[in-house]
Amino acid sequence: MINFDHVSKIYEPSIIGLKDVNVHIDRGEFTFLVGHSGSGKSTFIRLLLKEFEPTEGTITVAGRNLQRMRRSTLPYHRRNIGCVFQDFKLLPNKNVAENVAYALRVTGQPIRAIRRKVPEILQLVGLGDKMYNLPDELSAGEQQRVSVARAFVNHPSLLVADEPTGNLDPDTSVGIMQLLYRINRTGTTVLMATHDREMVDKMRKRVIALEDGQIIRDEDKGLYR
Amino acid sequence: MSFRFFFSEAMNSLVRNWVMSMAAIVTVLVSMFILGLGMILFFNFQDAISDLRSKLEIEVFIKNTASQEEIDALGVEIRDMPEVKSVYFVSKEEALQRLRESLKGNEDVLDALSGNPLPPSYQITLNNPDQIEEVASRFFDHPIVDNTPGKDPPDGVKYGGETSDRVLKVTTIFLISGAVFVALLTMASILLISNTIRLSIFARRREVEIMRLVGATNWFIRWPFVIEGVATGIIGATAAALAVLLANYFLVQNVVEKMPFLFSASAVPIFRLTLFVIAGGTLLGAVGSTLALRRFLRI
Repeated sequence: MINFDHVSKIYEPSIIGLKDVNVHIDRGEFTFLVGHSGSGKSTFIRLLLKEFEPTEGTITVAGRNLQRMRRSTLPYHRRNIGCVFQDFKLLPNKNVAENVAYALRVTGQPIRAIRRKVPEILQLVGLGDKMYNLPDELSAGEQQRVSVARAFVNHPSLLVADEPTGNLDPDTSVGIMQLLYRINRTGTTVLMATHDREMVDKMRKRVIALEDGQIIRDEDKGLYR
Repeated sequence: MSFRFFFSEAMNSLVRNWVMSMAAIVTVLVSMFILGLGMILFFNFQDAISDLRSKLEIEVFIKNTASQEEIDALGVEIRDMPEVKSVYFVSKEEALQRLRESLKGNEDVLDALSGNPLPPSYQITLNNPDQIEEVASRFFDHPIVDNTPGKDPPDGVKYGGETSDRVLKVTTIFLISGAVFVALLTMASILLISNTIRLSIFARRREVEIMRLVGATNWFIRWPFVIEGVATGIIGATAAALAVLLANYFLVQNVVEKMPFLFSASAVPIFRLTLFVIAGGTLLGAVGSTLALRRFLRI
């Protein structure tokens, strides 16, 4: 699903984002990406989304070489990746249903399909009764559920979460984790960057640890350490 | 495909940032109103000037000693000139008759004259008044033209030389300065709309970033902004068109009667002008928002 082949990213001036990273993640895997702030987790994710290009190496996502991808096809690449962020990134002027619907509108889905799918997915994340609330009327945990719903409503083959529980209290975090776990069970590859030690230790999934832009550990059923 | 969606997005943004939108709308309103007003004045002046210019004519006076054959030959010669629009022959008798009319009440002055001293003449109007001097000069040395010997320029040909020169110069200056003024206003409007859309883009930077992340294509992101700019243009221009209609109405009502030589009610094609103002505002909106998108929404 994801393949990093000798990938390096050097920011100007000579600040290292990633250094010679080789990673292969299979379809349907659940993977944690751990490390301190500035260890390269975000660089990893932004490279996946092709927000910028690597300085060296090649990245393949779902069999497509990102370096050879034309800019005009970039939106279609992103539709194939659901994104969840620490700060939720919801549209503040749109209600919950509209926020989720936006991801469908972008793909040109007919209105009838949108009307059917949005309540369905919101039911799934447990927000069926808050469809018409604005994001700032919701708790942080609820906002993150909306964001997960938006990321998953297109049924992407890959779901990327950048510290999705970073702003949440432990109990709420567990809820979000369960949601991501359920999504993974449907066959979606999930990649989650985090420094939530407890969560990683509890889940016992693959852990890739980064430090100063390099992979220092990569083990199945790993611990945060 | 989802025009309704884009349209409602644009309208939401317009209403949400209503202070900025109002500023842009008023800007379009003012500049399109001034442009419309300028056009009204332009049409009126143009009307007055072309009226004046069409009255410019060449008068060729003919010696009393010329024979009828010579006079007729000159007439044919004039008629054969491609620049000539119309020729009218004023006979001695008609010249006297005209003088008599212009002296109404004092006709007895003419009784003191012995016979008819007035020369016959040709009155020539041209297709293009710009050529008046050139055409007039052809008659200067004509053998049957009634020149007083030794006078330069010859006095047998009258064509309002200086007047026509001045009218032509004023026309040119008026046209050029009008065009410059309108160009400046148009530029100002485009820049202001572009700036408003730029602010709108900045206000929604986060949204645009999110749109990109969920895989919106460039045009999916752009359309609402374009529609917002065009809508701003249309609203402002429609208001301006109404104001122009009102202004024209008052002008016709109050000024035309007092200064009929400068303004005439029929000079302004007001319906077309209204359409022009609205179309112009729409175009301003489109160009302004496109400009802003190109510079501030690099995707």
